[in-house]
Amino acid sequence: MLLDISELPDGHELTADLVIVGAGAAGITIALDLIGSGQSVLLLESGGPEEEPATQNLYAGTVVDARLHSPPDRYRQRRYGGTTSIWGGRCTPFDPIDFEERDYAPAGGWPITRADVEPFYPRANALCEAGEFAYTSEETFGPAARPIVAGFASADFSTDRLERFSCPTNFAARYGHKLSASDNVQVVTHANLTQIVLDESGRRVTHLALRSLAGKQLTARGTRYVLATGGLETARLLLANRDRHAQGIGNDHGVVGRYYMCHLAGVIGNIRFSCPPGAIFRGYHVSPEGIYCRQRFTLEETAQRRERIGNFVARLHHPHITDPRHRNAVLSLLYLAKPFIPYEYAVRLHGQDAGSSGKWLRHLANVVTDPFDAVGFAWHMLRDRKLAERKFPSIIINSKANLYSVDFHAEQYPNPASRVLLDETPDALGMPRIRIDWRYLPQDVHTVRRALEMLAQDFAASRIGLLEYDPEQVEAEMTRFGAYGGHHIGTARMGSDPHSSVVDADCRVHGLENLFVSGSAVFATSSQANPTLTVVALALRLAGHLRHIGAAE
Amino acid sequence: MTAGTLLVYGVHSPLGRRVMETLGSSADIRPVAADSLAPEGLRAAVRDARAVVNAAMGAPADIVRAAERLSAALRGAAPEKRLVHVSSMTVYGEATPYAAAHIAAEARARVFPQTVVLRPGVEYGPGCEAWSGRIARWLEARRIGDLGAGGDGYCNLVFIDDLVRAVLAAAQQTAAPGGVFNVAMRDPPTWNEYLIAFGVALGAIPVRRMTRRRWAIETKLLAPPLKVAELTIGRVPFIARQLPPAIPPSFRRLCTQEIRLDVGATEAALGLTWTPMPAGLRAAAAAYRRKRPRG
Repeated sequence: MLLDISELPDGHELTADLVIVGAGAAGITIALDLIGSGQSVLLLESGGPEEEPATQNLYAGTVVDARLHSPPDRYRQRRYGGTTSIWGGRCTPFDPIDFEERDYAPAGGWPITRADVEPFYPRANALCEAGEFAYTSEETFGPAARPIVAGFASADFSTDRLERFSCPTNFAARYGHKLSASDNVQVVTHANLTQIVLDESGRRVTHLALRSLAGKQLTARGTRYVLATGGLETARLLLANRDRHAQGIGNDHGVVGRYYMCHLAGVIGNIRFSCPPGAIFRGYHVSPEGIYCRQRFTLEETAQRRERIGNFVARLHHPHITDPRHRNAVLSLLYLAKPFIPYEYAVRLHGQDAGSSGKWLRHLANVVTDPFDAVGFAWHMLRDRKLAERKFPSIIINSKANLYSVDFHAEQYPNPASRVLLDETPDALGMPRIRIDWRYLPQDVHTVRRALEMLAQDFAASRIGLLEYDPEQVEAEMTRFGAYGGHHIGTARMGSDPHSSVVDADCRVHGLENLFVSGSAVFATSSQANPTLTVVALALRLAGHLRHIGAAE
Repeated sequence: MTAGTLLVYGVHSPLGRRVMETLGSSADIRPVAADSLAPEGLRAAVRDARAVVNAAMGAPADIVRAAERLSAALRGAAPEKRLVHVSSMTVYGEATPYAAAHIAAEARARVFPQTVVLRPGVEYGPGCEAWSGRIARWLEARRIGDLGAGGDGYCNLVFIDDLVRAVLAAAQQTAAPGGVFNVAMRDPPTWNEYLIAFGVALGAIPVRRMTRRRWAIETKLLAPPLKVAELTIGRVPFIARQLPPAIPPSFRRLCTQEIRLDVGATEAALGLTWTPMPAGLRAAAAAYRRKRPRG
């Protein structure tokens, strides 16, 4: 059943066996999995079906260094479906090494292994609409699949690993009908959590206080509670509830909000291939079940261990858009279309380009002199992206000059000094806002620097082209746009020691009997992988645990 | 089933055909087609048979007529005569003329104490035109595929040979007299899962993701005129070959239907196991490719 808080009387008490706060990828997944379980489920959502400025403003906050992190209300959505309403759809699982304790990586590993998550990945993949859980080119396309670059040989980088793309699926738009039709799940929109009320012992949640922006106040009472509000909001909610625990819930050891990770990403260098243009394929394959898939250069685990560096992937990328000297009509068209491209994508497409009328005219000249290329691209984007439900994932432009750059995406190590704190400025509901102090470590720079060096060596050794870049610019490039937007990881990390973690292996908050966390907040490491697929897999794992507890009772 | 004659009514339905084919090589059980028998002949055939199967399908009137004919023939037969009446899971869904016909036919069959009623789900496999052949053509024409939220309903698949086994098990004199059994695989896929997997098995790849807009056009806008054309100018063989088959609005509704057949009692009473979907789809795809017109 789907209700809006405005349909309920003021002071009303909602009850359920399980109360989930946040209807994004994690919250919706848990609710879906518990349909027909016999447990009543209450799924609370702050927003409505569309973005609303006043609700979105509840996410606003500050950042310590605006050059290093986007504003807190960007790259996440406070609405039914959460950030799945704007995500890019890239799916790839965490690697086994990401869960392991590595003596060279700070702050340890996970209390679970990849094998513990493995059983949940196929269904997570299906919920993300990313097709079969098959992440190698060979198992998806057979041994004859076209490689990224013919002739590239490396012992350290695999080109067989895939990333698969979701539609991208908006979980509310896609699965809301199942929740609405279910007998045991009740979704309530515009219900903001303002207080987590604990019993006198401080070990058990008794109920939640809810408020709408219109001033209506309700309570939600359950047997168990799950916070599924994303990496930033989870930290805020735990830190802001200080009635029983002076430092916030689950924060007796000051861990909540610390170890905040994103990913380290950037575009660097130039590589001019000596092989024929036809030997390079940086586009998307389509799997038999219709899923866009892409190969990338994946740093092998053996190489990570040998070099004592973090996880890393790279892809071939088109030349810089902002420079009209590329003389490419499509890239110039993208430059000119900047006002129509969503902020979250425009930032990395256009960088910090100031623009000028002269530059604008030169880009216009590129478009005018090769109109067929631009028109063909515009038609492709209209048909395969704008009008399609399964959208062509990104802009792929092959260089006639055989000239490319390298796009990398690397693990960020957990660092207790990188954190989310409370800013005591209240929001419209009186809740303290957040302040983000995102930081990275010298080891993170070393991961990217060394991995790029190895990739350049392998290109050279393969005699197919030279990757040229300034090693001194690696740190500047990987932080040019700050932390990779939208990947908010580790603020309530999983571990067995309460001194260095917030939740246990079952995602239960240390010291609390009936409060759980779902989402990327519990990730103990960040991997090279985008987080959503693993968020959904871990949500399914938690749902199974909650189903088991409920059945036992 | 023990040795003797099995009288089969509805030998032109996919199930009836498959029962006849399966028993064609049996040394013990002799299948006899009942459809074309006159009332007297039908009564005699019922009297001589060890068991009777009603596998008749078709238009609602045909379903009811078959039940009435068999009912009349059974009235004079020995009370222990076993009737296996093959109905449909449509009796659980929305009220349609087709569902009403099955309900009426079941009522006529259940008058007899030894009747076993089978309610199969979506029959697929070799010879199953409605749920394999027709769908294969739609998939090849990229007119269906991954339906998104429009394909989340349960697809209660039953492989045709599993249904044949269910019929033969129910025809045993010892099997659950008066029982009503759902016949479908345990843990059925969604329609999306079925359509995508069948598309891959057919080689109709990559399977297309249908937009809601396109799906609505197919099933709401195009379906009525295509059906009218099929019933009028479609009678001319040349035109019939050119005419794309309509995707009816009822199929659109079926693909969102949240009915999941409970087969626990069926497995226990009839001792059935189910062909895994990949194996069933391979057989369905192979049969379709053998039959498909070339060119």
